[in-house]
Amino acid sequence: MISESSSNSNDKNSNLSEPTKIDGGANDDSDTFNGGADSSELSRRIFLKLAGVGIAAGVAGGCDSTFGGLKPSGGEGWLPAQYNVSGDFPVQVRGRIPIDPQNPSITRDNQKCILCGQCVEVCSKVEAVMHNYELPIIDDIPCICCGQCTLWCPTGAITEVDDSDLLMQAIENPDLHVVVQTAPSTRVALGEEFGLSVGTNVEAYQVSALKQLGFDKIFDTNFSADLTIMEEGTELVKRVKGEKKAPLPQLTSCCPGWVKYCEYFYPDLVPNLSSAKSPMTMMGAMIKTYYAKKSNIDPKKIFSVAIMPCTAKKFEAIRPEMNHSGIKNNDPSIRDIDLVLTTRELAKLIKRKGLDFLNLPPAKYDSLLSEYSGAGVIFGATGGVMEAAVRTAYHLLAGDPPKFLFNLEPVRGLAGVKEAKLNIPNVGGIKIAVVSGMHNTHKVLERVRENKSDWHFIEFMACPGGCISGGGQPRSAVPPSDSVRTARINALYSADEKATIRLSYENHEIKAIYKDYLGEPNGELAHELLHTHYGDRSKNLTAKNKKGSNKEK
Amino acid sequence: MSKGVLVNLTKCIGCGGCTVACKMYNNNKWIDKRAPASGENAQLADENWTIIKKFKLYKNGNTQVWRFVKNQCLHCQSPSCVSACFAKALQKKDNGAVVYFPDNCVGCRYCMLACPFKIPKFEWNKAMPVITKCVMCYGRMKENKAPACVSVCPESVMKFGDRDELLEEAKVIIKNNSMYVKHIYGEEEAGGTSWIYISDVPFEKIGFNTNVVKKPLPIYTSLYMKCTPIFGAIWVIVLTAFYFITKRRNVIKNESCELSYKKSVDECADNKLSQEANTVKSDDVFVNAGQKKRRK
Ligand code: SF4
Ligand code: SF4
Ligand code: SF4
Repeated sequence: MISESSSNSNDKNSNLSEPTKIDGGANDDSDTFNGGADSSELSRRIFLKLAGVGIAAGVAGGCDSTFGGLKPSGGEGWLPAQYNVSGDFPVQVRGRIPIDPQNPSITRDNQKCILCGQCVEVCSKVEAVMHNYELPIIDDIPCICCGQCTLWCPTGAITEVDDSDLLMQAIENPDLHVVVQTAPSTRVALGEEFGLSVGTNVEAYQVSALKQLGFDKIFDTNFSADLTIMEEGTELVKRVKGEKKAPLPQLTSCCPGWVKYCEYFYPDLVPNLSSAKSPMTMMGAMIKTYYAKKSNIDPKKIFSVAIMPCTAKKFEAIRPEMNHSGIKNNDPSIRDIDLVLTTRELAKLIKRKGLDFLNLPPAKYDSLLSEYSGAGVIFGATGGVMEAAVRTAYHLLAGDPPKFLFNLEPVRGLAGVKEAKLNIPNVGGIKIAVVSGMHNTHKVLERVRENKSDWHFIEFMACPGGCISGGGQPRSAVPPSDSVRTARINALYSADEKATIRLSYENHEIKAIYKDYLGEPNGELAHELLHTHYGDRSKNLTAKNKKGSNKEK
Repeated sequence: MSKGVLVNLTKCIGCGGCTVACKMYNNNKWIDKRAPASGENAQLADENWTIIKKFKLYKNGNTQVWRFVKNQCLHCQSPSCVSACFAKALQKKDNGAVVYFPDNCVGCRYCMLACPFKIPKFEWNKAMPVITKCVMCYGRMKENKAPACVSVCPESVMKFGDRDELLEEAKVIIKNNSMYVKHIYGEEEAGGTSWIYISDVPFEKIGFNTNVVKKPLPIYTSLYMKCTPIFGAIWVIVLTAFYFITKRRNVIKNESCELSYKKSVDECADNKLSQEANTVKSDDVFVNAGQKKRRK
């Protein structure tokens, strides 16, 4: 009897089934454990026994995962396919770019990042920033603020730093006179945000929308592009003639992404940068001096906004150098530009305000700082600055430019590096080059560095294709495609073609501003307000040696 | 073979990709308001198994430098958390990973006290909290894949491999390049860790606990914690013995009842009743609370 009942109690099954059946149902008395017990007592016993068995098995089995299928923590999520390989084979496209939380131009929502590696691709291979400096880093997360990553990031994790709330606060502030300027490229891309085909020119609707948003004055950066040409073209002529003691080739300085790149990677060539400011900051300086004076407005009360195709412009606006209007007004705290919004932010604002963009009444820019020549329009395309500058430089050196300068084929198109040679009477051959996409800079600048170049003037734009495909433009193809770029570029060239005036120096408002206010191009006041100098960022970064990589070019 | 990871801190650019990978692969939440996963205020937390902490410091006198430090479980060679855990919820695997089995965890949090690097975290915000920590992507390691954070790093800051080989590699690197501090963190700390670090700035300046003892820590805890399973075993034996004794006593009683023909049937029945009452009493001692509930 004893042995029978003990074996019974050790059998797990006996706990779960009717004990009477196991014992043949006759010998109730012998089953001390279950016999005659009611069901609540049964469970108590089961509990105790199971606990005993559990402890025993746990101790014996070491609670290993082999026992009872225990699951270790972690591993419930996923990673993109490229990371799911065994062994230590290299993963080509991986990781993501670093973004300083203090970056004025771009930001990232970590929760949306899927580590696809696209930002690294564009940053390191198109813009040649990431992976192009030595490690360890010094005291900066190198970034030229171009914003191309915002166009490549498939999930939209990387975006521009959104300043639209600051803008609305300024507009709603009755004490502020809010003035806005719009870059050449925004008008050929903004429509894409409202369903128009890529490359539609919506200049008049954009002005109308800005009026509806509550801006007090709307000026056109195309005007200050003409102004830039006057200053930069004159500077080039002076360098060529030896009147200005500055090295050749002259390098353009209107792209803030490129300027920062030069400061990081080619600090020795900073003296080659044109001292002329960019169209945006020239306009900023004019608004708070010339316009303020003309309209009798206290420059301190002017809030100067720029709608740009570019995230680097947000960085340029806060560069310490860009307060020439402040210095002129004896208050260095006055900035040339107070706020920069990208094309995308403008589109978001228009949508937020519920404006029926496509049915807005077409409107015109305000006069004084808005008339533009065809040369100013094409600033937004790669090669455009060069073409515009050459038209004016030719004029300054040899009189009216010939026909072919109105369609300078060799510098048009999407090639990363373009070259041309012009024969200018009395001067001889002038050699020019055009570069877009910072990975192309090395091919050109290593030669300049080694003094093996005979270029006189080189245009640089950080974004492939120029500002029309800038980091602040609508994401009409992700990543941006050449067809989108070409459509936008064509829109600019056709605007140039249709323009009645195609030479910066023929722009009436340009003539007026020199006559009424600035005096001479490169003159004293022009220098004070429209020129600047750039710095050296090489102490913040150790550039990788690029020598030898493009020897043959 | 025990695996490890060599972290070369001089290469980290602070992108935070590794923290994203960890969260993606392990399905952990973003709790940046409570505890950012990267930046100057980065903090390990229940949902942050790894962080990238930014340090601004001076190198060689007055050059300011930024350094980013990846933190996660170091997967000690002889982990104190494992020896502190009597429930065997934390286990050191042959491949080097210190793995956590939440189903075993009783929530005592001894591991948190035992860890010299303060790695295990408790899910204070959850209704059914458990411990959380980096498990070196044990699931991936079993498939011969590098941990998630290691795989995604764009600057190859981390290298996954055989710990002994990595240690040799680290020695060569710091020997041949004067930039490096002549110390491999994790070679000996806490008796050696699976994750080892090299750096160009002193470890104590970038948040490393350089006071941690070099001896394997579990020596201190294991002496008594080791006894836990034995106690468990003895407990089972004692209870079983009790059970047999009680049972045998009753059986003998019953048998004597059956044998004595002279005793009346009623007497025998009485005997049985009292024996049942006994059982209930002894049960009460153990399942008092449960019983009360059930009787309500
Ligand atoms: S492109 Fe966007 S999603 Fe992809 S890794 Fe970069 S930030 Fe993350
Ligand atoms: S090894 Fe895995 S669990 Fe540990 S920190 Fe890296 S990604 Fe997270
Ligand atoms: S992914 Fe690599 S480079 Fe980026 S923060 Fe992590 S360790 Fe540093």
